[in-house]
Amino acid sequence: MTMVLAICVAVVFTASVYLLLSRELKAVAMGVFLLGHAANLCVLAQSGEPVVVGDDGLLASKRPPILGQGESAANPLATLVDPLPQALILTAIVISFGVMAFVLTLLVVTSRAAETLDTHALALLEDVDVATPLSAGERPDEPHPAPEPSAA
Amino acid sequence: MSANAVGLLAILPLCAGLAQVLLVGHRKACRAIGVVSLLGILGLALAGLLTITPSDPSQAAGLLVSQSGDWAAPYGITLAFDSLSGVLIAAASAVALGAYLHSFSSLAYDVERRYFHALVQMLMFGVNLSFLTGDLFNLFVGFEVMLMASYGLVTLGTTRTQMRQAYKYVLLNVLAGSIFLMAAGMVYGMTGTLNLADLARMVAEAEASQKAFAAGAISAEQVQTLPTGFTPLAVLLLMVFALKGGFFPLWFWLPDTYPTLPIGIAGLFGGLLTKVGVYAVARTFPAVFASDGLGGSDRALAWILVVAAAFTMFFAVLGAVSQGRVRRILAVHVISQVGYMVFGLAIALWVPRALAVEGSSMAGLTVAAYAMAGCVFYMVQHMVVKCSLFLCCGIMEMHAGTDKLDNLGGLLKRDTTLAVLFFIAAMSLVGLPPLSGFFGKMVIIQAGWRELWPLSVLGLLTGALTLLSMLKIWSYGFWNPPKAPVVNPPERVRSQGRSAYGGAALLVGLALFLGFGAELVYRVALQAGTQIMDRRPYIEAVLGEQGLDAVRGYELAVEQLETQAEPAVADQAPIEAETERVALSNTPTPALEADPEPRVLPTLSLAENPRGEASP
Repeated sequence: MTMVLAICVAVVFTASVYLLLSRELKAVAMGVFLLGHAANLCVLAQSGEPVVVGDDGLLASKRPPILGQGESAANPLATLVDPLPQALILTAIVISFGVMAFVLTLLVVTSRAAETLDTHALALLEDVDVATPLSAGERPDEPHPAPEPSAA
Repeated sequence: MSANAVGLLAILPLCAGLAQVLLVGHRKACRAIGVVSLLGILGLALAGLLTITPSDPSQAAGLLVSQSGDWAAPYGITLAFDSLSGVLIAAASAVALGAYLHSFSSLAYDVERRYFHALVQMLMFGVNLSFLTGDLFNLFVGFEVMLMASYGLVTLGTTRTQMRQAYKYVLLNVLAGSIFLMAAGMVYGMTGTLNLADLARMVAEAEASQKAFAAGAISAEQVQTLPTGFTPLAVLLLMVFALKGGFFPLWFWLPDTYPTLPIGIAGLFGGLLTKVGVYAVARTFPAVFASDGLGGSDRALAWILVVAAAFTMFFAVLGAVSQGRVRRILAVHVISQVGYMVFGLAIALWVPRALAVEGSSMAGLTVAAYAMAGCVFYMVQHMVVKCSLFLCCGIMEMHAGTDKLDNLGGLLKRDTTLAVLFFIAAMSLVGLPPLSGFFGKMVIIQAGWRELWPLSVLGLLTGALTLLSMLKIWSYGFWNPPKAPVVNPPERVRSQGRSAYGGAALLVGLALFLGFGAELVYRVALQAGTQIMDRRPYIEAVLGEQGLDAVRGYELAVEQLETQAEPAVADQAPIEAETERVALSNTPTPALEADPEPRVLPTLSLAENPRGEASP
């Protein structure tokens, strides 16, 4: 079972790196999305085998980590799932969800500011930006032409 | 300050940030809340430092440990406040205060009106949480909180250039965050714990058991080993921290991103963010991942850091000399200065742990702890100085409307206050003797002189090139005759930029204090260095007395063996008598003092060569 998870992590990771390296920013955003999944799966694999060989020789799934739910007395972790990796994943999912929302917002703002979502086109745009000296009014660190209530 | 007040250091900026979200658009209220919160963090951190620093400098500093919800250490969330956390949080809040004040007059009106204030507080929340946390997973959470806030700040102006650079910053950090998460998960899978003190305990037990085995006190079955793959994991984590810290070769994102930001935010980032990466290495590596004498893993990691330090210092300063814009010079310099901190870390992992500083007034001060103290001092001084340079650059731009060296000039006559501020900050960065940079570089270069002298030479050379690049800004910007028409008359800059001057002056004053009060700051830094290198007090403070029981058991076994075989030890006594340089561990136990550990012997030979001519 751990092997299956390991292969899953590898596949998801490969796909995400492939997407991250693409030129289209929407694909890059998808790559970010998959990257979070790959990391979460990898952490999930740390809780060990999800199945256990029962007394009858058949595979049975492990039980939820609540004492008194049929754990083996000698080594409870042999029959109960280790809950900590899942708690970690829960936190990580929230974080990667936040990052994803941010990246998608960034896409929208970029398409408005630069009118393209192609990294190549963006790179060309940047060259233009560097060559043009910014006029005084546009610099954010200029004292604003309009009188500022507090500074004046 | 009581131990449970430690949590306030993280909660205060969080609450302030949330209040500012509710009050968005009310600039004055937001500003007031932000300043009060930053002052509060500063005050709390200083109070904490006063509590833990003993009045007698030769004694070790204490720790304030807060177990959230009273869940005992390896299971609950631990917040630990020691000298390192305290001094960094105090410096970070002071730097944030300076940059924040500066932003009042340097940030465009409609940028400040939105969520700037809340994002700064959230950034401080993440930074403080990273500095305080006692487990690896919460370090990840602290990093992510800090990064989310910084993503927001990076894209605040939403100009086209900012957007373009934001992707580089965001994607690299997302990648690093995912790797961090995986590495933390694997640490849990391998060791069954994420608590730093618990991890340090495991490593300490493995070390003690292997020493006991080498001395013949225990059998081979009793030897504890670290899990396979522990060192590769350490390298994985080092990569993550190096990316945040801007170590060679992972610094390429930094000089592109920082110059695109509004200058107050650039100062904040240049001051704070790279230090968090350095802090994470300092916190986790000497205590956990770079263990002493377990299969040479510490050597491999020390090599990585040595190479990183050399290239980070030197290549980055070459890059800085070649730049033609003030912002870019300063941004590239952030990296070059991080190189000195990495140098300090590298010495600490490179030299034998027990090697003592000659003629030190502090009993049992090791070279490793001394180098680490230099690293801590350098982190503090660099936060302050680098941020103040960025803030001065902001005022220069107010005068000239640009940061291109070719278009600057004549600022010395136009604005003497700015010239004085900039000159003090620049010379502090270079390390001119009475100023703060000198004391940071001196200790690090001195500590590395014996064992890593090529790096020390490179450090001195980097200092000279730093002087060159600062003089470039000075002569182009201040001394040369003005080349372009005056964009803003000096009177207008002065009247509208009062808080910009205030923020810059605050930080320059702090830099002066770090230089002239270096002895005071070094008292804390030396305590911090000793605490970083000596994991035992940390383990005991977090896990309780019984945390070290197993380690003491192994040492007791060795001790009993020694007392039985007294004559055998006596043979070694002459060697030890002529080697007064090799000091004993910080918490000497009889077992360690008489430890005939063969791996210590190579360091003994150093003393036979007192001029340090040993080739590297």
